[in-house]
Amino acid sequence: MNEALTLQYVKTTAEMLMLPLEDAQAARVAVHLQRTAAMVSLLDSAGLSAHDELAEIYCPAPFPAADPTLGSTGFNA
Amino acid sequence: MSADHKQFGDAAQMAAAVRQGEASARELLTTSLARIEATDARVNAFTSQTQDRAFAEADAVDARRSALLKKGESLAALGALAGVPYAVKNLYDIVGEVTLAGSVINRSHPPAEADAFLVKQMKAAGAVLVGALNMDEYAYGFTTENTHYGPCHNPHDLACLSGGSSGGSGAAVAAGQVPLSLGSDTNGSIRVPASLCGVWGLKPTFGRLSRRGTYPFVHSIDHLGPMANSVAGLALAYDALQGPDAHDPGCHAQRVQPVAGALQRSSAGMKGLRIGVLNGYFDDNASAAAREVVALAASTLGTKASVQWPDAGLARAAAFIITASEGGSLHLDDLRTQLASFEPLSVDRFVAGALQPADWYLRAQRFRRIYRDRIHALFVDWDVLITAATPVSAPLIGTEWLDINGTQQPCRAAMGLLTQPISFAGCPVVTAPMWPSGTKGMPLGVQIIAAPWREDLAFAVARQLSDAGVAQVKPAAC
Repeated sequence: MNEALTLQYVKTTAEMLMLPLEDAQAARVAVHLQRTAAMVSLLDSAGLSAHDELAEIYCPAPFPAADPTLGSTGFNA
Repeated sequence: MSADHKQFGDAAQMAAAVRQGEASARELLTTSLARIEATDARVNAFTSQTQDRAFAEADAVDARRSALLKKGESLAALGALAGVPYAVKNLYDIVGEVTLAGSVINRSHPPAEADAFLVKQMKAAGAVLVGALNMDEYAYGFTTENTHYGPCHNPHDLACLSGGSSGGSGAAVAAGQVPLSLGSDTNGSIRVPASLCGVWGLKPTFGRLSRRGTYPFVHSIDHLGPMANSVAGLALAYDALQGPDAHDPGCHAQRVQPVAGALQRSSAGMKGLRIGVLNGYFDDNASAAAREVVALAASTLGTKASVQWPDAGLARAAAFIITASEGGSLHLDDLRTQLASFEPLSVDRFVAGALQPADWYLRAQRFRRIYRDRIHALFVDWDVLITAATPVSAPLIGTEWLDINGTQQPCRAAMGLLTQPISFAGCPVVTAPMWPSGTKGMPLGVQIIAAPWREDLAFAVARQLSDAGVAQVKPAAC
């Protein structure tokens, strides 16, 4: 994405997020975003497959210290 | 070195002096406050002091000692850090104080209703809190050039950066104001100031220490840890800080794994350790001075092995993207309503982060998972890896660009070049203070990196460098 398109993106998304940016600041933000975009392109070389899931950012419960007691039938109902 | 600084000693010596009755906690506190009074107008490490609380805590330690002696009970009950003064980065909650996190926006927040988890741990160990320390706003920086509260100055050369974002934490220890401090490290914010100020620093394993009661920056990468004027003091503080906390979803440690006792007994833990020096990305981004301290550490440790850390550049990129995205999202409400009140040096990065497409963030998080597998594989063959903590020694305050081996790099971002890939993996790192030639007496630290949950190995190597005299804290002229 070139400078003009990045600036356009910044202004549009800032408006969508209700961020009040003046033109000079939008231009500075666009520079940062272009720098980040260059880093994103680095990640293209990581060779991620569809099966490469996210690193955990949420843990629903602590991992149990031991297996839960099984029912008398040998399996949980 | 002033007389006060000489008397100060390290945390282990100070706690021993209090236990043995050679000094009272009140005397140690008075010495610390005098040193702060004498130096902080120039260093600007502190943003506030908690003197009333500090005297109350010190007097409580002294009273408890008297009571234990009277009953004939063991003085070990005083705690491992009995009477040791310390200070915290101002993103830690201190009961009754507003947690600034380096901002002016947070001034309107109510005072904290309780101490941060780690402040409670320090209090339980007998340590005495003397105040809160300067930092980059919301921890988004490596330089502590805080526009609201003024830059933190390097005690070894006041014209130079202290590093950041825990700049006050590094400078307060380097200036001899306190022997211990607490900081936070998302991408290098303990290791960078430890390197530039010449003090010991620990970024533990991600998930080792509870972050509850501290102002967050990037939930999925934030770490907390101590800084100290000796490796023994660093270990004592680390042990005191440990403890499972079910209320921090990012605290994965289920039990305490102390290191200080084994560290005191012997350096036998070094035997058979497979130690390597990181090459490639880490060598490419290291100045001659940085390479010199790594070579000295390697020769002291008796290793010549050169090791490739996988995907360092990609890891830095992913850490950069996640940091911007989570940081921008965290502050989006304030960016909407109080944009002009943000730190001018970082506000544009916060805004840019808030605008990043979800794809960028998700791709970086997916990469983190395969990256972790590659790091685990690396530590099958190695126990400890070393590299410089910063590409250069402390630049002048206000420096915009650095020349690193012929490449122009933006100074404020480049200070984290060597730390970001390591913290993104979550590995524990002890930063050892070292002193290269050709830097006009300024320090440059070495990172001692171990596999997740193996802080003990990093400490064993740190002790070796300390015992050999190649890593040490030197008095500052401030």
